[in-house]
Amino acid sequence: MDNVLVVEGLKKFYGGLEALKGISFEVGRGEIFALIGPNGAGKTTALRIVATLLSPSDGKVSFLGFDLKKQPEKFREKISYLPEEAGAYKNLKGIDYLKFMAKFYAETEKETQEFIERAREIADLGTRLNEKSGTYSKGMTRKLLLGRALMTKPELAILDEPTSGLDVINALEVREIVKRFAKEGISVLLSSHNMLEIEFLSNRVALIDKGKILDTGTPEALKDKHRAKNLEEVFRGALQ
Amino acid sequence: MRKFLNLLQKEIKELITLQLFISLLFTIFLFYFIGQMLKTEIKKAMRVQKIAVLNLDDSAFSQNLIRGLKSANFEPQAVPDQDTEKAVQWTKGTDINLLLVIPPGFGESIEKFENKEIETYSFLRTFSIVGSRSSVIINAVIRAMNEYLSNDYLKKKIPDISPEQLKNPIRSKDFVVVKDRMAEGAAEKIAGFVSSQSIFVPIILMMIIIYASQMVISAIAMEKQNKTLETLLTVPVSRTAIVTAKMVAAAVVGLISAVIYMIGYRYSMGNLMGDVSRAVSSGMGDVIQKLGLAMTTKGYIVLGISLFFAILVALALATILGVLAEDFRAAQSLIMPLIFLVMIPYFLSFFSDPKNLSLPMKIFLYAIPFSHPFLTTQNLLLENYRAVLFGILYMLAFFIVLIIIAARIFSTDRVLTMKLRFGKKKLVI
Repeated sequence: MDNVLVVEGLKKFYGGLEALKGISFEVGRGEIFALIGPNGAGKTTALRIVATLLSPSDGKVSFLGFDLKKQPEKFREKISYLPEEAGAYKNLKGIDYLKFMAKFYAETEKETQEFIERAREIADLGTRLNEKSGTYSKGMTRKLLLGRALMTKPELAILDEPTSGLDVINALEVREIVKRFAKEGISVLLSSHNMLEIEFLSNRVALIDKGKILDTGTPEALKDKHRAKNLEEVFRGALQ
Repeated sequence: MRKFLNLLQKEIKELITLQLFISLLFTIFLFYFIGQMLKTEIKKAMRVQKIAVLNLDDSAFSQNLIRGLKSANFEPQAVPDQDTEKAVQWTKGTDINLLLVIPPGFGESIEKFENKEIETYSFLRTFSIVGSRSSVIINAVIRAMNEYLSNDYLKKKIPDISPEQLKNPIRSKDFVVVKDRMAEGAAEKIAGFVSSQSIFVPIILMMIIIYASQMVISAIAMEKQNKTLETLLTVPVSRTAIVTAKMVAAAVVGLISAVIYMIGYRYSMGNLMGDVSRAVSSGMGDVIQKLGLAMTTKGYIVLGISLFFAILVALALATILGVLAEDFRAAQSLIMPLIFLVMIPYFLSFFSDPKNLSLPMKIFLYAIPFSHPFLTTQNLLLENYRAVLFGILYMLAFFIVLIIIAARIFSTDRVLTMKLRFGKKKLVI
């Protein structure tokens, strides 16, 4: 499997606080790679750096051969980022929001329409797309944003807690969508503290705590290694 | 450019909300209502007004005085009683606001060249300017009567010399010099006229700056609060385009709102001041033209440029302040320093002459970029073109520095990590 993203010795300082202490991992094409760990472990910081929102204090991040520090704009052309608990523009209709975002990636009007159609299919909001997003429930907003994140078929989708705050049904739908798009060749880097979700979704997992990666591997391999029934037990074992 | 227009379209759509329309409609209605109310009140005040008169004299002089009242738009109503106290009580029971008591022997005293007091009682039923207007008029009538009587005395006593000459042996002929131009006229009247003509400039400026800045600060704070900014910063569009689109959209919507406010303001104030200012300007036209104190088209263009740069500075400053705001509520507090920066030069230029300020105050005033458009009209009329040019260049330099800071903030982590925490009162980066 060829790697689309390679992270090496990534460090991030916030003033005197070292949020990431030299983490390394890679994401292969069509792979779902998850960072799991408790709150404050450094998952979101790592994702924000790859998404070009934060600059690394040290280490190297390369995506499709491009260096993050030198060519962040190349990253932005091919990635898509879904922040945790993000919202849409409340005064824009769902369809207008999708159109607005699609125009940044599409070269032609036809391509814009293609992106919108794909997002419409993913979001599955029917006629509600013609209403302002301020009237949407949390689940509807999340699906709209997931549609936006995947509509361009990015080389790498960065999803921060993709099912955060969703009910069981909506969370299941979102997981199915992510899995389906990964099968179509989209690489996914996601974070979650929901171990069961990660086990269901991910091809490979990195256990992260206090800015350090404790262990990396497939869920099955990690369970075998730590003689655990599930990832929660794996994580507890790794911490010990 | 396509991506920038996409951003701009979104920003304008975000700003033009139902709330904005309601607020603008409400303002237009409010101004219309105030205008109509003022118009009606002024008409009422201009109408013939009743005045109660207790004439205890009944001489030719007192009859003359009453005739004078009639010509000053009063309708004298004779009080039925012949006693001042009763006359006060009687008037209190009516809707008449003024009582004039002419004492016995009024005409006789005047004939003997003795001072005689007449009494006026004003019944204050409202503290408005319009409500106290009638007592001002009656004083003017009495002044006119005094003028007439004193002229009459003088004519009788010294028939060879005109009373005008006797009362004013020294006369002055006033000239005003502005740069190399000179015209006959009183300095205070000309200064008053010029300031009344340019009074709308600081008001427009204040409105646009406060409106547009508030929009930018709120727009950025809302993007941070809803986490839409995080998404926007990861799309393939330059950070400068994101910042510029926000500023341009706020400037456009701010300008439209300010124009609507100004039309409303002019309408309501026009109803109040219209007749007065027309009367003043009709007599002043020639003098103003002679002194070159009328704003030319070129002058208005320069003033427009000055205003434009002030708006740009305000928007750039608002953008930086918006980044500091953690959420919408914090954004509302952060607009305050900007408002103060506009208010300080507004009041300083309104109530004092910047040239007479102490050096530290002068430096302070000129260091505030918003001071310059406030002073532009005055500098243009006085042909201080250097000061105008300096102001524009200073604002341009200020804007460039601010935009570099804003673009740097937007292209680094600081756009997400920099915030002003009011609880801890420190900048967290």
